[in-house]
Amino acid sequence: MSHIERYEIRIAGFGGQGVVTIGRILGEAFTLYEGKNSVNTQSYGPESRGGACKSEVVVSDGEIRYPNVRKADVLIALSQVALDAYIADLKEGGILLLDPNSIRNMPDRHKYQVYEVPAMEIAYDIGGVRFQNSVALGALYPLIAHIINESSLLRAISENVPAETVEINMEAFKRGKSYVKRDEGK
Amino acid sequence: MKKHPMLKYLKEEGPLGQRMPLILCPGCGSGQILNYTLHAVDRVMNKDKIRKENFLFISGVGCSARLTSHYLNFDSAWTIHGRTLAIATGSLLANPAFKIIVFTGDGDTGSIGGNHFIHACRRNIDVTILCINNGVYGMTGGQVAPTTSVGTITTTTPYGNIEEAFDLCKLAEIAGASYVARWTTAHPHQVIKSITKGLRKKGTAFIEILSQCPVHNKLSPVTMLKKLKENTIQISKEKESGEGKSLIGEFCDLDKHEWNESYQKLIDQFDHEEGKS
Amino acid sequence: MSKEMKANNTKKRLHNVHLLKPGEYYLQGSQACIEGAIMAGCRVYGGYPITPASEIMEYASRRLPQVGGRFIQMEDEIASASLLIGASWGGAKALTATSSPGFSLMQEAISIAIMSETPMVIIDVQRPGPGQGYITASQEDVMQARWGHHGEGSIIALAPSSVQEMFDMTIEAFNLSEQWRTPVLVMAEEPVAHMRERLLIPPWNEIEIIDRKKPQDLGIMPENYLPWGHDIVAPMANWGEGYSVNFVGLVHLEDGNITKYGPQMHYDCVERLFRKIEGNVNEIARIETKFLEGCKNLVICYGCVARTAIEAVIEARKEGGLDVGYLRLITLWPFPQEKLRDIVGNVNTIFVPEMNLGMMKHPITEALRDRFKKIVSIPSLGVLHSPEYILSKIYEEIR
Repeated sequence: MSHIERYEIRIAGFGGQGVVTIGRILGEAFTLYEGKNSVNTQSYGPESRGGACKSEVVVSDGEIRYPNVRKADVLIALSQVALDAYIADLKEGGILLLDPNSIRNMPDRHKYQVYEVPAMEIAYDIGGVRFQNSVALGALYPLIAHIINESSLLRAISENVPAETVEINMEAFKRGKSYVKRDEGK
Repeated sequence: MKKHPMLKYLKEEGPLGQRMPLILCPGCGSGQILNYTLHAVDRVMNKDKIRKENFLFISGVGCSARLTSHYLNFDSAWTIHGRTLAIATGSLLANPAFKIIVFTGDGDTGSIGGNHFIHACRRNIDVTILCINNGVYGMTGGQVAPTTSVGTITTTTPYGNIEEAFDLCKLAEIAGASYVARWTTAHPHQVIKSITKGLRKKGTAFIEILSQCPVHNKLSPVTMLKKLKENTIQISKEKESGEGKSLIGEFCDLDKHEWNESYQKLIDQFDHEEGKS
Repeated sequence: MSKEMKANNTKKRLHNVHLLKPGEYYLQGSQACIEGAIMAGCRVYGGYPITPASEIMEYASRRLPQVGGRFIQMEDEIASASLLIGASWGGAKALTATSSPGFSLMQEAISIAIMSETPMVIIDVQRPGPGQGYITASQEDVMQARWGHHGEGSIIALAPSSVQEMFDMTIEAFNLSEQWRTPVLVMAEEPVAHMRERLLIPPWNEIEIIDRKKPQDLGIMPENYLPWGHDIVAPMANWGEGYSVNFVGLVHLEDGNITKYGPQMHYDCVERLFRKIEGNVNEIARIETKFLEGCKNLVICYGCVARTAIEAVIEARKEGGLDVGYLRLITLWPFPQEKLRDIVGNVNTIFVPEMNLGMMKHPITEALRDRFKKIVSIPSLGVLHSPEYILSKIYEEIR
């Protein structure tokens, strides 16, 4: 695993898309199962620009001082509004993970590494939109595999979902992981 | 001269200095109410073998409030206007064994304390509330109270009160108190009996005691006591000649779940034994 | 801490089998402060819902019965604060959490608690105002914390800046409230209440817990007990212990008498309350410093703003080559004037970033009046400062 000075992940979307849950699971995975430091925050209202809800995870092998994202390494945008609001804060060459079914105006694929996963569609297919968190996390995993073990993520998911849904969530994760693909543009 | 039997429950000296002369105005009904209360406490302490340490007297602000802490040889508290029931609730959460008597007045209960009064009754917490209702804000100089009847002239209703008075007993009953009664200072035995019942009741006991304020009514105490008798009618006799009179008697006497009883069940769900988790 | 105290503490806590065991946890600040409270022995919580403090209350409602404590949702904040007084005098350590509008409602009870010297802890997750306010970040109550209660006297207020500190400083708040027989405020902000970070719980016998001094422990019998005497912090007999204690919220003599009133009696009573806290400021108040040695400029901060400030200071030193020091007020009140004067030398500019228009700037100015050439407020309303923002203000001034 690479040493992390400071790695910033931002997740944004509408309320109910699991934005907060994804952030919480990531934070727990990094902190309790990877032995790193992480701060997970979330905001609502005008703070979240135009009705988008956002969640952030700042990770470090050292001490984390400022708790919020300054310039994100990863942006997971689950809605157009979220993408429009937060694309400017994504580093050039940063990772952008989108649900293509929610996005009409795609960003500059040369400026960022754009990946897509139809999280909602896959979730519906498995059993319901509530599994979209795990699909998104599964899609994210290969993109950050250099700083986190899969087992840590899986464990964090299983600790944070109802016991009877652990299996389905694991399946959702797997599907997200195998689907996610780089969007090179036309 | 034989000592009054209740004197053993009063200190010779307290926060208000020497007990005599009393803080209370001559002829004030609060003194009688203190006497009746101590009789009831004495009865419960001896017959039911409740330890003296378990009794706790709490009051807010006003004439009624002067009964605690100044002379009582018990744990007591002279606290914030209207917030007595919240403070009583706090004490019960710290120690469910307390036997709490709250001295309060018409303003302390019906005005600033209204919200806490409603919720204490709703929760049916284990307190005995003695509401000394003299129909006026005595301590602060005779302003109108939520229990002042229509037409009365007070320092803030110089042209006569245009508002209806609260029926605090009805309020207590509807809010959920286990035991609700109303008497007057002219009904010593009934008051003592009700307070005894209240202390023994698991839950909120609300006892309103109509009391004379000779100073603000500018009448002699004897006249006022007579009027208290004449202008009240027992519930059972209401139909006969109840026109324009205040109802006195026991309005309700129920056995209901008390707050701490119910909460204890929550606590008992969790295993608290040493070594187990 | 002595071996005996350690053993005693462990014994006290063995029966609380639902306390969090030593180890690592990933919790919200809202949860961490409750874990700290129950670790400190708090067994009564009464509160009223208010954003952004409701999570604290919700978590308390789950945890209190698990550790044999009692939780109640009261009808309003006035009731909640009053409840703490009753609970404390009934012998329990008691807690409530609220936000700024609720904090306003609690001031009368706080005032009574100061006069009656009632140990209790109030957490204020501040939100911007005035008025109904919004539900975001704020430090706008820091003056209200000190001066919001009517009347004289003083109070203790702490400013946590992380999830770990929400745990540690809630324990500290209870310890201070018991040791000094005073209400203690934990002035938190929305970011620190809602963020999730690692919480490290040390072995239980390493956590110092302080309980109020009791006359029984000092061999003082009821007939010789002076409710407000014996020491600058009077031993506290609670209701139900056979001491026939008469609680008053009025100016009083040592024996509780309130009638021998006069200007001197009034002064003696109230001045002692003031001196009890302010006279012991050096023992009570804590600060944290970095890069202070010989620095030419200084950033003074508190609460979660400190996390932004230190980031900015480090960058200003590294990238900007500026000689900037960092000082964090961990205790806001009593204000550590002497401590500041002891360690801060002459500087050019002092920067005070606050999530208000400049409040702690005033006691800072008073304390260091002859040590700086300029003092600059860096306000941010409703949102936590970013490092860029603080840096821009620093560079504006001294580059």
